[in-house]
Amino acid sequence: MRTLSFAPAGRIAPVLALAFQLARRDLRNRYLGSFSGGAWALLQPLVQLAVYVFVFGYIFRQRLPGADAPGYVPFLVVVMWPWTAFAEAVSRATTAIQDNASLIGKVALPRAALVLAPVMASFAIHGIGYIGLLLVMLLAGAGIAPAGLALMLPALALLFLFALGLALLLAALQVFVRDIAPALPQLLMLWMFLSPVFYGRYVMPEWVRPWFDLNPMTGFAEYLRFALLNMPAPGLRAMVCSIGAVVLVLALGLFAFRRLQRHFEDFL
Amino acid sequence: MSALVEAHGLGKSYPRVFRRSDRFRALCSLLAGRASGEVTPVLQGIDLCVPRGQSLGLIGDNGAGKSTLLKLLTGVLTPTHGSVRVNGRIGALLELGAGFHPEYSGRDNIAMAATLQGFSADDLAARLSDIVAFADIGRYIDEPVKHYSSGMVVRLGFAIVAATRPDLLITDEVLAVGDESFQKKCIRWMEDYLEQGGTLILVSHSMYHIQKLCRQALWLREGRMQASGDVFEVTQAYLAYHERKSAADETRARDLDAVRGLEFHVRAMRVNGEEAETLPAVEQGAALTVEATIASRDGRVPVVNIGFARADGTPVYGVSSDMDGVQPAPLPDGDFRIVLHIAELPLLPASYTIRVHPLDSEGLRLFDTLERTLTVKGRSSESGLVRLAHVWEHAAPLSRSRGE
Repeated sequence: MRTLSFAPAGRIAPVLALAFQLARRDLRNRYLGSFSGGAWALLQPLVQLAVYVFVFGYIFRQRLPGADAPGYVPFLVVVMWPWTAFAEAVSRATTAIQDNASLIGKVALPRAALVLAPVMASFAIHGIGYIGLLLVMLLAGAGIAPAGLALMLPALALLFLFALGLALLLAALQVFVRDIAPALPQLLMLWMFLSPVFYGRYVMPEWVRPWFDLNPMTGFAEYLRFALLNMPAPGLRAMVCSIGAVVLVLALGLFAFRRLQRHFEDFL
Repeated sequence: MSALVEAHGLGKSYPRVFRRSDRFRALCSLLAGRASGEVTPVLQGIDLCVPRGQSLGLIGDNGAGKSTLLKLLTGVLTPTHGSVRVNGRIGALLELGAGFHPEYSGRDNIAMAATLQGFSADDLAARLSDIVAFADIGRYIDEPVKHYSSGMVVRLGFAIVAATRPDLLITDEVLAVGDESFQKKCIRWMEDYLEQGGTLILVSHSMYHIQKLCRQALWLREGRMQASGDVFEVTQAYLAYHERKSAADETRARDLDAVRGLEFHVRAMRVNGEEAETLPAVEQGAALTVEATIASRDGRVPVVNIGFARADGTPVYGVSSDMDGVQPAPLPDGDFRIVLHIAELPLLPASYTIRVHPLDSEGLRLFDTLERTLTVKGRSSESGLVRLAHVWEHAAPLSRSRGE
C-alpha cells in the first residue's frame, strides 16, 4: 500500500531522506553565487561576533553584575545563535508549503519533508556557526565551560523539535489563512524582546520575574547560560514550561498537519 | 494476475473558495474533521482495476478529468471520495518539467528525482550514466534546467523514468513535445517495457498511440466513466462520438406531423430486426439487414433509397430500389415494405448513419428521411471507410522483424 503523503511511524525514512536532500540543496543554493562558498557559514558569525564585541564591549560597555560574572558578549552569543536558528527555521518553514505549491500539484512526495527541510537547514547552518563561535570564545578565554558543549545538546535538540512543531502548525495554517507569514517577523521580534536574550531576568522588577517562567524560551536561555557560562540554573517551573511547550506544540503541529495536508492542493 | 492498481468509487472535488472568509471557514471545519463545505466535482465514481502487465489508455475531451485521475493514482492529489491502492512503485510523467527545479542543473535534478522515487545515492550512481545516455541532450546535462527547450525537459524526464524501471508507468500527453526520433525511441522503450511485463497507463489524444500501446481503454466524459473495455471498441466509440459531435449542427429533428402530410413517409425502419435509435454494435463482415416500411398517401408504389454515411456525414454508399430493378412489395394494411440484405458488411470499424428515403414512383422527388446510428466494431487497423476486396500478387510471406 502506498503511503500517500505523510509518514506514519514506520515510514519516517523517506521523509528524512527527502528532507536531507532538500536541505542540502537549500544550503548549497545560499552560497552558490558567492566567492568563498561554504566559508561564509563560519565567516559570517565571526564578523557578527566582532561587531558585538565592538558595540557592546567598547561603545555601550555593557557589563553583567557580580564579580565572577561572564562578559556581556558571551552572555549574548550563547543564547542569540540558538534563537536565530529557531526564529529563522520557523519563519522560513511557515511558507514552505505555499512556496512549493508547484511541486505539490505535480509530484507525489511526503509533504512533511518540505517543512522539515528548512528547519534542518536553519539549524545546520546556525549550529555550525554556534559551535565555531563557542570554540573561538573558549580559546579566547571568555569563560566558556568545555563540559557545556555536551550539556547544551539536549537543549538544542528540544529547541529543534519546538521549531519543527511550530513550523508544521504554521505551515499548514498558512495554506488556508495567508495572514500568518506577514505577521510572523513582528511576532518573532516581539517574542525575542520578551525573552531573556539581550538581558537576564534580573534586570526586571521583582514582581515581573516569576512570570518569565511562562515563556518557554526562558527555560532554554537560562539552561544554555547555566551549561556554558556557569550561571544559575533555571528553576523547575521554567524547565517544565519549556518541555511542556515543546511537547504540546509538537503534538499540535503533527495533528494539524496530518489533518490538513490532504487538502493543501485544494487551497494553494 | 494480481491487481496493481485498484480504485473504488474514486472522486475528486475542489472546494469553492471565493471570499476570504471561506478559507477560514474551510480551515475550521477541516481541523474539526468535517468536509470543507461547498465543492465542485471534477471526477466522480471511477472504478478501476489494472492487473500487472496490463496497458490502459485514458481518452476523453479536454477537461474530462484524465489528468486529475492520473494525479489521484500517483498520489499527487488526495481523493475526496473513494480509495486508490497501488501495489508497486510508480513512475510518472505528468506535466512538462514537473518536479524539476529550473535553477539547478540536469544532474542535480536527476538526483532530486531519484530521491523522490526512493532511490539511494548508490542506486542513482549506478544508473546515472544510463539516464544521461538515454536523455541524449549533450552538454546541457550540466546546465540549469531553465535553459532547456521543452523537448529537452521531456527527454530528461523520460530518461529518469526509464532508468528507474517502475512497476507502473503513467504518462500524460507530454511525449507529444518530443521530436519524431525521440517519440519513436520512447514508444519503442514502452513496447519493450510492456513486453517484459510492465504496466502502463497512458493518456493521449492520438488514437494511433493508444491503439498501438494499450489493450484496454477508459473513456472519461465530464468526470465520469463513459466506457471502458477493449481498446478498439472504446476508441471507436470515442471517435464516433466526435464525428457525431461535429455533424450534430447539420442534423435537424424530424417533424412527424409535417411528414405525415407528404405523399410518402417512412413508417418504420429496422436494422437487423431492431427498431431502436441506437443499435447494438455489429461486427465487421457480419450480415446486415435494413428493413424499410413506407406509408403511401395515394397508394402509389415508392422507390426506396438506402444510404450509408460515416457519422461525420461523409457519404459511403447509396442505392435505390429502382436502380436494381425492384420495388417494395405491398403489405395488407396498404403500406409498402422492402428489405435490403448485405451478406458481409465491408464497412471498417467506426460509427455510421444508415438513412432511408422514400422517393416518388419515378425516383425523382425525395420525401422523408429516417436515420439510425450503426456502430461497426472490429480490430481492423485498415484505414478508410470500407474494405475493398483484394489480393496481393508478386508477394512473399512476411518475415516479422522487431525494432522498427
